[in-house]
Amino acid sequence: MVSKTNKPKVGVALQIPRNSLALLMIAQVVVILPLAAHITLWIVAVCLMCGYWRTQVHRGRWDYPAGWIKTLFVIAAVLGIALSGYRTFSLEAATSLLVLAFALKLVEMKSRRDAYLVIFLSYFLVATAFLFNQSMATAAYELVAVIVVTAAMVGMNQLHSQVRPLSSFWIASGLVLQALPLTLVMFLLFPRVAPLWSVPLPSSAKTGISDRLTPGDIASLTQSDDLAFRVVFDGDVPAQRDLYWRGLVYSNFLRGTWSIAQPLQPIRIEPGKSASVAPNQTLSYEVFLEPTQSNWLYALDTPVQYGSRMDLLADYRLVSKEPVLSVMRYALRSDTKFRADLSLPPHIRARETALPPNDNPRLRDYAVALREQTGSAQQMIATMLEQIRNQQFTYTLSPTTLSRTNSIDEFWFDSRRGFCTHYAGAMVFALRSADIPARMVGGYQGGEVNPVTGHIVVRQYQAHSWVEAWLPEKGWTRFDPTGAVAPERVESGLNAALSAEDRAVLSFLSNARMGSDNFIGDILQWTDSLEHRWNLWVVGYDATTQLSVLSDLLGKVTPNRIGIALLVGGGVSLSLVAIALFWRRRPLQQHKVERLFQIFCVKMARQGLQRDGDETPVAYIARLAALAQVDTNAMQAVLQQQLYDPQAHFSFRDAQWLRQELRKLRFRLAFTTTGTAS
Amino acid sequence: MTPISLQSQTSSSFTTTHKSVVEPRASVKHQIEDLIGALNGVLLGKETQIKLSLACLFARGHLLIEDLPGMGKTLLAHALAKVLGLSYNRIQFTSDVLPSDIIGATIFDRELNNFRFVEGPLFAQLVLADEINRATPKSQSALLEAMEERQVTNDGQSRPLPAPFFVIATQNPSTQAGTFPLPESQMDRFLMRIELGYPEPAAERELLLGGDRRVLLEQLQPTINLDQLNVIQNAVDNIKISDPLVDYVQRLVAFSRHGNEFAFGLSPRGALAMLQGAKAWALICDRTHVVPEDVQVVLPSIVEHRLRESADYAGHGGGALAQKLLGSVDVVS
Repeated sequence: MVSKTNKPKVGVALQIPRNSLALLMIAQVVVILPLAAHITLWIVAVCLMCGYWRTQVHRGRWDYPAGWIKTLFVIAAVLGIALSGYRTFSLEAATSLLVLAFALKLVEMKSRRDAYLVIFLSYFLVATAFLFNQSMATAAYELVAVIVVTAAMVGMNQLHSQVRPLSSFWIASGLVLQALPLTLVMFLLFPRVAPLWSVPLPSSAKTGISDRLTPGDIASLTQSDDLAFRVVFDGDVPAQRDLYWRGLVYSNFLRGTWSIAQPLQPIRIEPGKSASVAPNQTLSYEVFLEPTQSNWLYALDTPVQYGSRMDLLADYRLVSKEPVLSVMRYALRSDTKFRADLSLPPHIRARETALPPNDNPRLRDYAVALREQTGSAQQMIATMLEQIRNQQFTYTLSPTTLSRTNSIDEFWFDSRRGFCTHYAGAMVFALRSADIPARMVGGYQGGEVNPVTGHIVVRQYQAHSWVEAWLPEKGWTRFDPTGAVAPERVESGLNAALSAEDRAVLSFLSNARMGSDNFIGDILQWTDSLEHRWNLWVVGYDATTQLSVLSDLLGKVTPNRIGIALLVGGGVSLSLVAIALFWRRRPLQQHKVERLFQIFCVKMARQGLQRDGDETPVAYIARLAALAQVDTNAMQAVLQQQLYDPQAHFSFRDAQWLRQELRKLRFRLAFTTTGTAS
Repeated sequence: MTPISLQSQTSSSFTTTHKSVVEPRASVKHQIEDLIGALNGVLLGKETQIKLSLACLFARGHLLIEDLPGMGKTLLAHALAKVLGLSYNRIQFTSDVLPSDIIGATIFDRELNNFRFVEGPLFAQLVLADEINRATPKSQSALLEAMEERQVTNDGQSRPLPAPFFVIATQNPSTQAGTFPLPESQMDRFLMRIELGYPEPAAERELLLGGDRRVLLEQLQPTINLDQLNVIQNAVDNIKISDPLVDYVQRLVAFSRHGNEFAFGLSPRGALAMLQGAKAWALICDRTHVVPEDVQVVLPSIVEHRLRESADYAGHGGGALAQKLLGSVDVVS
């Protein structure tokens, strides 16, 4: 495999310094590492192999691969990626190809030119990592990666005889630090131009609540302490029992599974014409939704003001016009007393009373009987809740397994153990059986207040489902059967409702989060608040936020004004760096006469008569005197004495005299040597 | 040149320590002029080198003269010993010289029935180590203790060397055959290294027409005595240094430490040597304080043998570095 031919070697001046080669390889590892999770493992193996090959080349054991081997590698790599099962033109496929090419470049990296290419590619890969993840941890890691890559570049410019890897790290850190102010200015002010072509986004698994709901789903979500979203309220945070984060409406039921029906048309609520009885009962808040890969959004009942990127569908669920692929920030105003659909359109009535023809016969019979017995829909719901509350129903996250058909019958009459989806499902089924419009709603219930920042954190384990029934005169009304079986779940969160048995299933972190006065819980809350600020200020700083910042700053946003702001900001940040550099190199103490002489030198330099660095003051004056054809012996003597004789007394008069003499000399030269100087 | 009345202070500080040294500054100046004149008569057309070697000795430093054979190295060393009135020994270094040949050895005295230390040629006020780099490193290092501590240790007993003690070593350029390069530690102990170079045509003509140098050397008389030499050496210590000058020296040293061309920077001993040499030069120029010109004059002979180019593994070519140092460092901050 390794060719034994003696090819002409690269000249010493063009070789990659040993120090830098090591740094380069470290940089490659650092840069590839965060991407490794998103690409197939065999590419990582190829990277390792290339690293080993390059090391062997450096040790003189192996040779660089021959041309045909390299060609073979490239063809095999492209084929390999094509066969790895990525979607065509997906981000993963592109990243895999990039990483593979990056790794293969290592084995043909001979001269400095190649090394610089690898360095620039490394910076590109650093940027690529942000397509997958924009968290604060990623940003911190990539900052370190940038320093390592820069260190490799610094190492390229060190002499062969001076191998100082640590000092290149220091220099690189300094360089990155100096770049920070300008980066900040660019981040704040540089216009976010829409990309010319769209970058395919990562196709990771959808998280959170899905558009199909079987009773097991919420239970498995409950075991996850992943973040769902954060909310910042304008004003006081409502009580836990009022925090019903509505996300999905499940109207279809088939064989034990609830699913969302065909999306309805968007509707528009006119703020003035809302059916609300109490117009001041509005909440305004801002949601930072973690990526869900879907387009539904979470809101409190009932959003009346929302951005243009969103639609409110006829079943009052809020959807985004595009899937949420990165943290989405949206501001809402909800009317808590809003009455939805006082008159129910026929097509919605049909949709919300539909049931599959023949299953769960016991519950159907029970429902019809109950309806006749109670008379009104409202009365029937009250009775059902009463039954849940008083009969032997148990709230648990680990219910007995139910069969596929007639599962609701089994739950309602036999096992009587379950959690929100079971209760809500049974209730909706019963109501629909009795021809009362009802639907299952999925979302989250509750939220933990982070004491550090005051925002609300909603995690996957707060996933919840409840019932909405349509009542004449009241419209769609929310009922939560879980509140009947386990009131503490709704009043004070999941933690209170869990049994020891349930709790054992949850992860260590979930338990730590839910335990209130736990040390780890405090740390988790602190990091959560940091992440929140990161989302608020960095990730959430999008084109819209930027525009509002810019208009606050500039008044009217015009390209000219942005240009001027960029120039001023860039100038200020660069001068900050310059000032810092000058401050570090400032002379420790400057002699008075030395400064006087120094000023003279600067002025003379402007006249074109520069002092050479190694020219002593006296020699300089002598040269100037010869040019000006004057006698300056006395001045030279005094100057030298004042500068270099520590016993000479500095007097203000001497300095004054010296200054005058120097000025005389300068003026004389200004008039006599203008011709020769230029 | 300078209207400073240093004189009174100098003499008052001396009277407290030395009685014999109450001499006006003018006499020091004359003595130095006499010394230079006497040496100029023997070694023609080499006034700068003569002044540098005097400055080296006045600064209590050892001198290394490096040049091709026949350039007058030995002559200069011998003449210095003569005019300064010092006891003089010459050690010819060859590849088989051993440390005991230099320091001396303990031998058994049959008459006294006892061991007795016989002093080697090192026991003189001025020792000429001729062609020092022809000896093996082992013998070269016999000089280490003598040069730094001005004493030698034999059989566990330290013996002081006569005061003053100077070593003037000569060496052929290390590119010549049969030489062992001096180790850096040894090099560092020489305050200055000078090269003599070919004489000017006029001086050479005079040399060719003039009498035998050896006869002239014989006729050379001491122009100063030990006490006077002591006064001169103390006067060197009393030369003043100002802050701007120390800044300049520090900038020079810092540049040698951070510059890429330098394999290693100047040691603090190197910086001290620079100041000491500049002081001696200032005294020769009849000044009470050091000016940057003094530093610039002595700098090459002081730093050339202490520096090495980072690209130069063999260890030559300090000369270009000294020029680089001078050219790159600003005199005024």
